[in-house]
Amino acid sequence: MNNPSQIQQSLFRMWALAKFELIRLFFTKRGSLALLAFVTAWFLILYYPVNSAVSIVASDGFKEMAKDTFGMLGLSALLNWQVSEFTLYWLIALYSFPVFALGASSDQTCADRTRGTLRFISLRATRNEILFGRFLGQVLIIALLILITLIATAGMAWWRDSNLLSPALLKVGQLFIELNIVVLPFIALTSFFNSFLRSAKLTSVITLLFFGLGTIIISLLSDKIPNAQYLYYIFPGVQLSDIVGQNLFSITHYIIPIVQTFCYLILASIFMKRSAL
Amino acid sequence: MSNNSSPLIQVSQLSKSFGSKQALNKVNFDINKGQPVALVGPNGAGKTTLFSLLCGYIQPSSGRISILGHHAGSAATFGKLAALPQDAQLDPRFSIAHQLKFYGKLQGFNNKKSQFEAERTLDLVGLKEVLNEKPNALSHGMRKRVTIAQALIGNPEIIMLDEATAGLDPLHAREIRQLVANLSNETTFILSSHDLSELERLCHQVLFLENGVLREHQNVSNESLANNQQTYLTIRMANDEIEFEQSLLAIEQISSVVKTQDREYLITINAPTNAMTNSSTSALPLDIQILQLCHDKKWIYRQIVNGKTLENQLFS
Repeated sequence: MNNPSQIQQSLFRMWALAKFELIRLFFTKRGSLALLAFVTAWFLILYYPVNSAVSIVASDGFKEMAKDTFGMLGLSALLNWQVSEFTLYWLIALYSFPVFALGASSDQTCADRTRGTLRFISLRATRNEILFGRFLGQVLIIALLILITLIATAGMAWWRDSNLLSPALLKVGQLFIELNIVVLPFIALTSFFNSFLRSAKLTSVITLLFFGLGTIIISLLSDKIPNAQYLYYIFPGVQLSDIVGQNLFSITHYIIPIVQTFCYLILASIFMKRSAL
Repeated sequence: MSNNSSPLIQVSQLSKSFGSKQALNKVNFDINKGQPVALVGPNGAGKTTLFSLLCGYIQPSSGRISILGHHAGSAATFGKLAALPQDAQLDPRFSIAHQLKFYGKLQGFNNKKSQFEAERTLDLVGLKEVLNEKPNALSHGMRKRVTIAQALIGNPEIIMLDEATAGLDPLHAREIRQLVANLSNETTFILSSHDLSELERLCHQVLFLENGVLREHQNVSNESLANNQQTYLTIRMANDEIEFEQSLLAIEQISSVVKTQDREYLITINAPTNAMTNSSTSALPLDIQILQLCHDKKWIYRQIVNGKTLENQLFS
């Protein structure tokens, strides 16, 4: 076949849109500044809390106290990790990357829609291609940033003890997959909000209200209707408290965010098709 | 250009409402491959709504749109239909070359062809030198021309330009008109503008919208009136001449002379089949008789138009 199939063309356009997002981060002034701020923040996190915590945990005097404290919080399994650097990294990354993902992906199509740029693009790509291409771009950006912080943490461990390189790299692989699955529904949620909102600021406000007011409303409903507690499953990150301790492996911890991602993208697709450009 | 093939665009019973406001009401028309088509009408008439529907930016409330046999916004029209939507801007964070290349790649071109198309289309709008500039570094008029360039990528079959020359200086507006005229053999343009003289120069077919209703759907020439009892001439004079109307009415074939606006007259002529060529009472064609009259009376005319001006067709 000389001509690519429709599916190939569609995938090509999605990939072109995703690549454009990567270029937006690495080759524009605003993107470079955001990247610099991210690197600086993580340098401070790794250099002070993580680095300091490793020496504390490693000292015999604090080991028992740390075990007691982590045990109370259900985190004792983390102390068994061979590479101590990843213990605190995991605790920080698990909660900071979802928040970071919400902020970083808050403008997937809003600004382009307001400016009219989406009108140029929509004559060359379907609305689903735009939606999934931009989503893929954001996923790749966050994945790349997660990988950078993981490699930096592994590098710190290797610097402390060269024998830790191999276990550190194994941990990099495991945490890379886990963290990426965690952030997926957060990015999908902003994709959904972007399908009908017209500014990144409004997306951030609505996201805040979604988590804040949503939790309050479901909490009040749960008092009256016991089954209402299942509504908590609409919130990305609902499984975070179960996975933070890394105590028990459960496939539902992975299925929940993937199903949430799927649902939010389906909703985004429906809204995107109906919205005016 | 052939009009025998199936229409490029077919619109039937198209309606669009925004809440209680009916922006378009059961609009029907066909557009065939060929000369540029004008879309005119007062503000709020529904022109931009019609553009948006044809481009697939918004969905119709009812009715049907067929673009090259596909529904509006279909992937099958990518690269075949392009548009300059009103007020749409390029991303200020990227260079113009980068964005035009990106659009080229979305249309399926490789890197080399995309680069070529970016340079070619910018050259067509006279802006090759701004290839590596960012949109914010350009003037309003230059940005407009760059957005016209994006519509030319890949030589699409249909290009819709909404107010393409609004905000351009006269020289560049003329260049864009020339560009449209030059490309109209291979591309069918649909032009929306408030500049009726511009549309009159470029377009043979006019879609006139008023309050969401398509009032006129006609060709702008005396040819379309050839079978009628009357044809028209429009003459614009340099000065007000007191005896002008009376002197014209003395010519046998002229049935009426109406002053349509300051120093502009619409002349109605009977017997269209021979009035412009010769006369039973005079050896001279009628338009030559009028010019001779002006010469004899030392009246200076500015312009003589064969037929009604578009403005007079629509508003008189």
